[in-house]
Amino acid sequence: MVVHSDVVCPFCGCLCDDLEVTVEGDEIVGVKNACAISRSKFMNHGENRLQEPAIDGKKASLEKAIEEAAGILADAKRPLVYGLSSTDCGAIGRAVELAEVLGGVVDNTSSVCHGPTILALQQVGESKTTLGEVKNRADLVVFWGSNPTESHLRHLIRYSAMPKGMYVPEGRKGRYIVAVDVRTTRMERVADEFVKVDQGGDFELLLVLRAAVRGVKIKAESVSGVPRETIMELVRRMKGAKMGIIFFGLGLTQSDGRHMNIDAAVGLVTELNHHTKFLLTPMRGHYNVAGANSVTTWQTGYPYAVDFARGYPRYNPGEYTSVDLLAKEEADAAIVIASDPAATFPAEAVRHLAKIPVVTLDQKVTPTTMLSRVAIPVATAGVEAEGTAYRMDGVALRLSKVVEPEDGLLSDEAVLEAIIERVRALKGEVG
Amino acid sequence: MKELWLTPTALPSIPVEAEVICPDVVAGRTLKDVSSLEVYVGNKTHILGEFFEVEGELAEQASEQMIVVDGTCQTVKYIGAKMTAGSVHVKGCAGMHAGSQMSGGEMLVEGNTRDWAGAEMSGGLLRIQDDSRNMTGGAYRGSPEGMTGGCIVVEGDAGVELGSFMRRGMIVVKGDVAPFCGVHMNGGEIFIMGQAARRLGAEAKGNGGFIACLGGVDEILPTYVHETTYKPTFMKLYMRQLRDVLGLEEAARFLETPFRRYVGDLAVGGNCEILVAEK
Repeated sequence: MVVHSDVVCPFCGCLCDDLEVTVEGDEIVGVKNACAISRSKFMNHGENRLQEPAIDGKKASLEKAIEEAAGILADAKRPLVYGLSSTDCGAIGRAVELAEVLGGVVDNTSSVCHGPTILALQQVGESKTTLGEVKNRADLVVFWGSNPTESHLRHLIRYSAMPKGMYVPEGRKGRYIVAVDVRTTRMERVADEFVKVDQGGDFELLLVLRAAVRGVKIKAESVSGVPRETIMELVRRMKGAKMGIIFFGLGLTQSDGRHMNIDAAVGLVTELNHHTKFLLTPMRGHYNVAGANSVTTWQTGYPYAVDFARGYPRYNPGEYTSVDLLAKEEADAAIVIASDPAATFPAEAVRHLAKIPVVTLDQKVTPTTMLSRVAIPVATAGVEAEGTAYRMDGVALRLSKVVEPEDGLLSDEAVLEAIIERVRALKGEVG
Repeated sequence: MKELWLTPTALPSIPVEAEVICPDVVAGRTLKDVSSLEVYVGNKTHILGEFFEVEGELAEQASEQMIVVDGTCQTVKYIGAKMTAGSVHVKGCAGMHAGSQMSGGEMLVEGNTRDWAGAEMSGGLLRIQDDSRNMTGGAYRGSPEGMTGGCIVVEGDAGVELGSFMRRGMIVVKGDVAPFCGVHMNGGEIFIMGQAARRLGAEAKGNGGFIACLGGVDEILPTYVHETTYKPTFMKLYMRQLRDVLGLEEAARFLETPFRRYVGDLAVGGNCEILVAEK
C-alpha cells in the first residue's frame, strides 16, 4: 500500500493540493481531504472508460487510429482544435502546435464559460491576486453569480471563508461574506448577506455601485430589485474593508450583458481601489482552463479563439470561437481533447459537429466520442499521468501520477505528438 | 469613374477572405492581374478569379476606381476593408468586416452586413441599405478606440455594441438598435431613428459625444441623470445635414422637436449626452 500525499486534485479551478491518495497495487482505495466530487473522480476513474481506439465505432490499433486522425486533419481546410481545459499544460502546448501545423483554429472551453471575462479584462484591465493572499488578508468576500457550495466545494473552507489567515486570525468570524445572485442558493445560508438581484440586472447594479463609490447620489429607490439602502450599505462595507475581493462565476459571464458585466465589475473594483485594497478573481470551472488560456497566450499572444489559417495567429472571439465556427458550418473537421462539446454546445453547433469528421481524445465514453469518426482513449491527467495545471488565480501546480495507466494507454500529450508527427509527414514537412 | 465588375460564381461554404476587393488594391492593374489576386479559404490560398467573374475597366488611381460586386456575398469577408479612396458597391449582402478600417472613399451595400462592418473606420462613407449585425463601427477586441472618423449609415436595424469605443465620426441608424449602443463612447455622434434598446451609452466618457434617440428608448441607465428638456440649435443643423447630404428625409420631422437631455455615465464620471426626442 502506498500513500501519496500533497496530491493536486484535477477537478475544479481550486486545484486543492493537500489530497492524500492511498493506492493498493494499481487501485486507488482511499482519498483523504477531498471533496465529494474529487473523491468520486479518483475512486471511479476506471468507470465508463473508453476501452480501445476506434474508427467509425470499430476497434482499431492505436497506430491506425492516429494515422486516420492525421489524415482527416491534414485534408481539412478549416480544422478546429477544441477542448483542452481538463488536461495538462504539456498537452495544451501540443494542441496549439497542431493547430499551427494544420493552419486551423485552436479554441478552449473559455469560449463557453469565462471567455467574456477575458474580453472584459482585455478592455479594462484586471486587479489580480492569489488565493493565498485572499486567505491571509481578505475581510470582505463577495460571491457574484457564483455558488461555490455546489461548484467549488472546498473554496470556502480552504481560501475564502473559513481559514484563519495571518491578518484574519478569527477565520470565519473575521470575514463578512456577501452573495449576489438572481435566485436563492445555498450561499444564502453561508453568507452574512444575500443580495437578490433581478434576472439580467447585474450590469445596472454594478454600475450604480460604482457610481455610489464615486460619491454620486443615487436617486432611484431601487436598482435591479435591490433597494437603495442595501446598495448604500454595501458600498459602505466595501469602502471600509481592509481588503475586499469579488469572486464571480458564470452567473455574471453568461447572463445578459456577458463581458460588459465583467467590465462593470472591474470598473467597480478599480473605483474601490481609490479607498482600499480590492480585487477580483473569476471562479474558473475546469481545473486547467486557466492553463489553457496561459499556454495559448504565451505561444500565440492570445488566450482562446486563435486562427492559424494565414500561418500566423489571429484572434477574434465571435468569429474564430468554436460555437461560431460550427454553427456557421465553417469547420470541416475537428479534434476534441478532454472535452465534451456534443453534450454542452448549442444544438445547431452540435448538429454540424455530427456532420463533419471528428477525432476525440478522452478517457471516458461521452456523447462526443459517440459521434466521432476516430476515438482514442488516453490516460487521465492528474491520476494516471503527470503534468502542470494552473489554478483559478494563475498559480501553476504539478499534477501527480498516482496509478499506472493500462497497457498501451498514452497521455493526451503523447497522442498529440504522434498525430503532429504524422500530419507533418502527410504535409511533407520535416518536424 | 471606371467600373470593375465582380460577379460571384460559386462561393464555398467556408468564408472567402477577400481584402483584395478594394480600389487601392485593384487600381493600376490589368484584369488578368486582378483575376489572379490571392484570396483565402480556410488554410488554402486561391485566386479571385475562381470565385468571381472579373470584367470592366481599371483606373490608374484608386480615387478613380469603382468596384461593383454584382451579387450576394455573405460569406466573403473584408470587402472594402482598409480602402482609402474610390468606391465599392455591393449589389447584395456583404460578409464580416465589410469596410472595416476604411479611411476614405464610399462603400454601398444594398443588402445586409455581418459583424464588424465599418469597425475602427477612420474616414469615408459606409452605407448599408439593410440591417447590420453586431459591432458595427466598433472596436476590435482589446482595442481602446473604435471609429475615429467617417460616417456609417444603416438603413435597417443594427446589432449590439454599435459604435463601441467610438472616438469621432458619425453613425446613423434608420431602424432599431440592440443593447450597448455607444458603449465606452468617447466622442462622435450616433443618431437612432428607430427604437434604442437599453444600456445605450454604458460607461461612456462622453468627451463631446452624444447619442440622439429619435424614435424612443427602452430604458435609460440609472447612472444617467435627466438634466433638462430643450431644443438644441445644433440638432437642427444636424437634421438638415442628414436630410440634405445623406438623403434621410425622415430627419426633417425632427427640426423643431424638443429633446430630453440625459448626462452620464456617472459610473465613470462621463459627460456623454443622450438626447431623446419628445413625442
